[in-house]
Amino acid sequence: MPLGTIRNIVTEAGEIAAFTARFFRELFKPKQEWRELLRQCYYVGYNSLGLVGVTAFIMGLVLTIQSRPTLVEFGAEAWLPKMVSVSLVREIAPVITALICAGKVGSGIGAELGSMKVTEQIDAMDVSGTNPYKYLVVTRVLATTLMIPVLAVMADAIALYGGYLGTNIKGVVSWKLYWNQVFDALSYSDALPSFVKTYFFGFAIGIIGCYKGFNSNKGTEGVGRSANSAVVISSLLVFIIDLIAVQIADLLGFT
Amino acid sequence: MAYQAETESVITVRNLSKAFGKNRVLKQFDFDLKRGENVVVLGKSGSGKSVFIKCIIGLIEPDEGEIEVLGNKISALNSDELDLMRMKMGFLFQSNALYDSMTVRENLEFPLRRHGKDLSSEEVDKAVKEALESVGLPETENMMPSELSGGMKKRISIARTLILKPDIILYDEPTTGLDPITGREIDQLILEIQAKYKTSSIIISHDMHCVKIVANRIVMLIDGKCYKQGTYEELRNSSDIRVREFFD
Repeated sequence: MPLGTIRNIVTEAGEIAAFTARFFRELFKPKQEWRELLRQCYYVGYNSLGLVGVTAFIMGLVLTIQSRPTLVEFGAEAWLPKMVSVSLVREIAPVITALICAGKVGSGIGAELGSMKVTEQIDAMDVSGTNPYKYLVVTRVLATTLMIPVLAVMADAIALYGGYLGTNIKGVVSWKLYWNQVFDALSYSDALPSFVKTYFFGFAIGIIGCYKGFNSNKGTEGVGRSANSAVVISSLLVFIIDLIAVQIADLLGFT
Repeated sequence: MAYQAETESVITVRNLSKAFGKNRVLKQFDFDLKRGENVVVLGKSGSGKSVFIKCIIGLIEPDEGEIEVLGNKISALNSDELDLMRMKMGFLFQSNALYDSMTVRENLEFPLRRHGKDLSSEEVDKAVKEALESVGLPETENMMPSELSGGMKKRISIARTLILKPDIILYDEPTTGLDPITGREIDQLILEIQAKYKTSSIIISHDMHCVKIVANRIVMLIDGKCYKQGTYEELRNSSDIRVREFFD
């Protein structure tokens, strides 16, 4: 990798760290923007329900259908609900939810703030007695941090329902038996680490989207680039956080 | 009635310098704005005109120099004091900077509510209606910025600036991007605002029609400094070649 590229990556990482530090400073300053926070929670949470729901359902269904032949080969078909539920709750549903939100919400935030920057709306806010960082950034980052875990829990439930339908395509498992097997397989140590990591996914998506938008270059090209790099960096961060979360969960005995 | 210059300065700028990397756009720039006066800052594109007014309103921090607005040094103000100062200054952005996601009414209410003015709904209603009537667009209250023409956007942006009844208005290229007829309407509006609200204004422009109509005095910003100043007629009759470039 050329030296210039490494320097740019390190510089950007430093700038993102400074941007994140400012988030925590502004978060505890008085005059909270409750109304804007609720509006952003609605946009991030409610407006992503459909997309996350459909994707989770398909993932649950497909994972079950794809896993069946291998389990049948080992004579372990009865384990299908257990295996699918652990895979979905521990890994697939939270990561897929975060990736969808990185694409939908992260790019939306990057483009919206980038466009506001280019058209001087952020400056206009500043001269109108409003701290634009607090009004625009803190509310959006809090909204993604709070809403993505909710979406991930919903995705877990819908994906497991997809798994139920998938199990019954080539077999017969009653509704009650399926859920009994699912909850028998799942333990506290499966659900808790995967739920906690979704807060970090949400935070990363929000902060990267806002950082890219807030630092957008002038012009429509700059706005497009902000939206694009918000998705790329936040998706990459989701995987990095996932990797770190697995290691920490392992160290803490959540296996 | 002909404009009578007052002696009281509402903005005083001394030795203002600002550089972006190696590009020094302002080099010890001096400037005064008297009460009730319309001063046009004239200069080529990229000469630092917009940077100058953004330094005044505190959007850009100068490298050196002092800016005093209504007797207060901008560099000595904390963020709350700066907000209070900004209530007395209106800023018209070149791109209008209307909030896309808000209606015209919400755009106008925003500075009123955000500056912490404790107003009742009736008072807010009255202020919004008065500001919209001042710019001749009372029927646009519930429209979105995307539904407005370029000239209407400019007028709404002026209405948003007027709603706090500022003492000083900073106009950043108010007629850029408008057709000549709409441009002249905006020029007239600037004069009407000066007469009605007794505002003092700095107008950044290189539209010479606009300059001729609205300027009580022109300051020429060349090479980062105040190169020359005077009335439109004085500068138009100047023999200085760098001044003549703007008028020929």
